[in-house]
Amino acid sequence: MIARRPLAALSFLAPAVIVYLVIVIYPLLSSARLSLTDSPAGNVGEFVGLDNFRQILDDPNVMSALWRTLAYAAVVVVLQNGIGLVLARAFFRRMRAQRPLSVMLLLPMLISPLMAAFIWSALYAPNGALNAALEAVGLEGLTRIWLGDPSTALWAIALVNIWMFAGYSCAIFLAGYMNMSNEVLEAARVDGADGWRRFRHVEWPLLAPALTVNVTLALIGSLKVFEYPLVMTNGGPAGSTTTLTLVIYQTIFGGQGSFGYGVAVALLLLLVVMVLSTFVNGVLRRREERI
Amino acid sequence: MAARTDIDVADEARGSRLHGTRRAWLRLRRSSSDAPGLLSNIGLGVVIALFMGPLVITVFTSLRTPAEVAVQPLGLPIPATFDNFVEAFQQMDYLISVRNTAVIMVASVFITVVFGALAAYPLARLTRRWTPWVYRSFILGMTLPIFVIIGPLYLLQRDLGLLNTWAGVILTYVGINLPVAIFFYTSFLRQVPIDVEEAAELDGAGPFRTFRVVVFPLLQPVTATLGIFVALGVWNDLVLPLVFLRDPGLRTVMVNAYSNINPNAVDPTTLFPAAILGVLPLVIVFALMQRRVVQGLTLGSVK
Repeated sequence: MIARRPLAALSFLAPAVIVYLVIVIYPLLSSARLSLTDSPAGNVGEFVGLDNFRQILDDPNVMSALWRTLAYAAVVVVLQNGIGLVLARAFFRRMRAQRPLSVMLLLPMLISPLMAAFIWSALYAPNGALNAALEAVGLEGLTRIWLGDPSTALWAIALVNIWMFAGYSCAIFLAGYMNMSNEVLEAARVDGADGWRRFRHVEWPLLAPALTVNVTLALIGSLKVFEYPLVMTNGGPAGSTTTLTLVIYQTIFGGQGSFGYGVAVALLLLLVVMVLSTFVNGVLRRREERI
Repeated sequence: MAARTDIDVADEARGSRLHGTRRAWLRLRRSSSDAPGLLSNIGLGVVIALFMGPLVITVFTSLRTPAEVAVQPLGLPIPATFDNFVEAFQQMDYLISVRNTAVIMVASVFITVVFGALAAYPLARLTRRWTPWVYRSFILGMTLPIFVIIGPLYLLQRDLGLLNTWAGVILTYVGINLPVAIFFYTSFLRQVPIDVEEAAELDGAGPFRTFRVVVFPLLQPVTATLGIFVALGVWNDLVLPLVFLRDPGLRTVMVNAYSNINPNAVDPTTLFPAAILGVLPLVIVFALMQRRVVQGLTLGSVK
């Protein structure tokens, strides 16, 4: 038994621990150190204390990217899960169609973010399929240059995100529906509750664990959004799609000589992800216990 | 039982020998499909069509000529042309890119599986003061955005001479996927009774032999799902190879597609076939092992 062989146990652990220390832990600690320097492009740099972080708070580029990323995440979390929930309820009532339909809706998720960005860049093009489809159904008034207009570009990108992952949310909600006891659902029906009230008072509370998982995953995923804005707009027009990850990428690798500063912005992203996901997860888990 | 449905009654009346679970299934079907109305069916159909529309347009448009698409963006591919695919194929250096991606993907999956399973074994079986601590520091890595460590990681790989090598990218994929691997292997192993391992030991097998012959084969269902999860992540990733591989001959499908095709400058008839070629190898895998893929996709949900 491995428990009585400490040397064997250590040699089992060693490969994973060494790789993890080198690839994740060391760079993480190194981030903390570099964020306190004015390093232009490498390990060298003067210690400047918290200057980088003070500068971040006064940097309109970073702060607007932060708020933009938060707004993006809020829209994606709400719409992706809202659509996923409606679809899951519709599928649950249609047992035979359920499996093929939910597999179909998972297809977009299989596509890489880069390829999804290619597809939607072509759809959103001024003379692309989306505008053509709007004209075809008599909605010429709605046609526009979706990715070239600062007021629509970010939301056009959010839609790609939602398109890719709504099927995933749906699959998780559907698993929640499958876990519900038939007796409870049946009892509500016998009591004569109508569809909406059954949903509101029986199904919605029972879906609490699925909601926790869905909201947490969508939140973490959308805060890390990178490929869509990089490929579709490269942060434009007029910076309207510059997310935090894009700022980090451009500051660290854009040859601006501000490596230490970029690493500090990356730690801000870590802070935002950690604080928000812990907070939201905590609130939703407490809600699960209350219900 | 309070609620007797017509189907129950009918079953009993027929003296049905239906198995209990089948009866339960029938009841479930009845109670959960209280006849969705026509309107709700139409609504669902529209939503599904909206979701599938982009994929259908992608396939159709990639088979039409640029001139046709410029005149009429929406249309059927009659007659179909494969010229667009030939062009995208060349622009993406497709064969070399696919080979590069496949090598990186297979190596990353293999090493992640082996290292992850090896580490999970003592973590699941040992109860020392330090084991939960090691386990928890691995779990912390599950939500870490890659952008937090990518700067220092770049410096590290530069100093170790790993930039522009597959080894550097593969090691990085292993490092960032180990948390998921260890989480799933450890929680799976904790539910497996220890008896078999003890029997193997009584037969004179050492820890390594026990692992190879008894423990690792037990982990097979997790290995399959995890392998697909990691493979999808590696195949679809743009960030790591973009930052760490500069040599076009070493680059993956995604990096060559990103570097050689500017979506705002080329025709849809180049973008759509490029997207199809980028996804194609995965679709083949998907078709071959559908059930595992759905599990692999939803693996993240229990994290």
